[in-house]
Amino acid sequence: MILNALSISMIFIGLLSALLVIWGGSSSLILYKKWEKSSTQEERAFLEDRSYLVLLIMVIVLLIRLISWPLFYGTLQSFIHDIEGAMCIFGVTQVKPGLTLFLEYLKPINFFFIGGWLVLHSLDRLTKTAPIMGMKLLLLTVLSLLVFIESAGDILLMIGIKPGTLVSCCTTVTDILDRPTRTTPESILGPQYAEYLKILYFVTHLLLIGMVGLVLKLKKLENTFSRRRGVLGFLFFFALINGIVFVLSQIEVFAPLMMHLPFHHCLYCLWQYVPDSILMYLLFILGTFSVGWGFTTDLFGKIGEASDLLPKYLRKIYRFAFLFLLASFVMLIIHLVLDQYVLE
Amino acid sequence: MFSNSKGITLLIFFLTLFLGCKGEREPLPDRCDYDGVKIEKIYAVYFTLKDGKEKKFCSIVCASMSFSELKGKVKEVMVVDEISGKRIKASHAFFVESEVITVPHNKNRIHVFGNREDASRHLKRFKGRWVENPFQ
Repeated sequence: MILNALSISMIFIGLLSALLVIWGGSSSLILYKKWEKSSTQEERAFLEDRSYLVLLIMVIVLLIRLISWPLFYGTLQSFIHDIEGAMCIFGVTQVKPGLTLFLEYLKPINFFFIGGWLVLHSLDRLTKTAPIMGMKLLLLTVLSLLVFIESAGDILLMIGIKPGTLVSCCTTVTDILDRPTRTTPESILGPQYAEYLKILYFVTHLLLIGMVGLVLKLKKLENTFSRRRGVLGFLFFFALINGIVFVLSQIEVFAPLMMHLPFHHCLYCLWQYVPDSILMYLLFILGTFSVGWGFTTDLFGKIGEASDLLPKYLRKIYRFAFLFLLASFVMLIIHLVLDQYVLE
Repeated sequence: MFSNSKGITLLIFFLTLFLGCKGEREPLPDRCDYDGVKIEKIYAVYFTLKDGKEKKFCSIVCASMSFSELKGKVKEVMVVDEISGKRIKASHAFFVESEVITVPHNKNRIHVFGNREDASRHLKRFKGRWVENPFQ
């Protein structure tokens, strides 16, 4: 176990959130069952009062869990000097590869669900009759389980990483010729795959920004537009495709360019050598997830009084999506232009 | 479209412009040109390219991975004798792969020697084997 301020924070946050989600998850399940059985306005008002504390504490726990994703990588980064052979986060991930990989997949999933739930919660708070309360409590129960798994995983990982472990780092995995990020696009796009991948990223990203802009401009978020859910679902699906293209193009094309290391394809090294790329990634993730949050809000939030507030609320979400995606794109362009014309 | 969030828009854009400019990586003097890691001079490898530029690497592993990509452009490869620390031509060096790791992050086990006796001694002591010059 490596003890420093970050790992202690991770363990503390993990313990605290694991305990609170057990209580919060079970409470929200009980409240959900009662909510479903309640028929009168008085009963619902009583349950609403009772759920106030549960929701307040769970909102705080979930907000902390959102921060724990970047904190996770910050902590792994802080371990580099204690792991022999690690020159970036990749090396640290090789100490407990199975568990770390599991957490690396779980964290973005949880981030998305937590964000989606918080968006739904804040929509419900704008209403007077809390029409989404039942759905919110049910989703919170499911979310609590996911957060518990993540918190337990964090604690196990922090305890399990032993200082002085000898590992191989990214060079021996991310740069080999038969890496999947090379062979997969190469099998589809041919030997010039890197060039096509670059173009594909620009096309899909600009298309996504354009489509979000069009949805905002053409008032496709109004309740009167019957195919709204279909359009938002398609946008979310397209944002996921764009996400895959983004990751592939970053690994194969843009990260080596930004690092000035043409044969090195490690994203963890990119964060280390070009720290502002972290902000670019954050903007991209928030932009992509905002598109998804718009869809999930429409999916779960179109109930009663909340339906009337939905168009205005969705506009806000998609405005953020538009801004974040555009900002991440601008950052990448600035890097590429500077690399190409100024620093050369 | 952005009447409500003009401030946020401007803030994000100025931030991205500022960081995009500030964050540019400047060339680092003692870093490997393959993976950016700090070079220990005793294990370094140097390529002189046909256009006169020099590329430096932290280990035989990184250098040989780059060599396969840069083969047509490389004019000369220089390696460092582990005993004396002097630069020698790769074609004049002796290469031994042994159980001793020189650069942990890529588990490089290939050692470079300027003369056969030193190489042979290392080979016997650390269960090594002769390997061919990787830069030919």
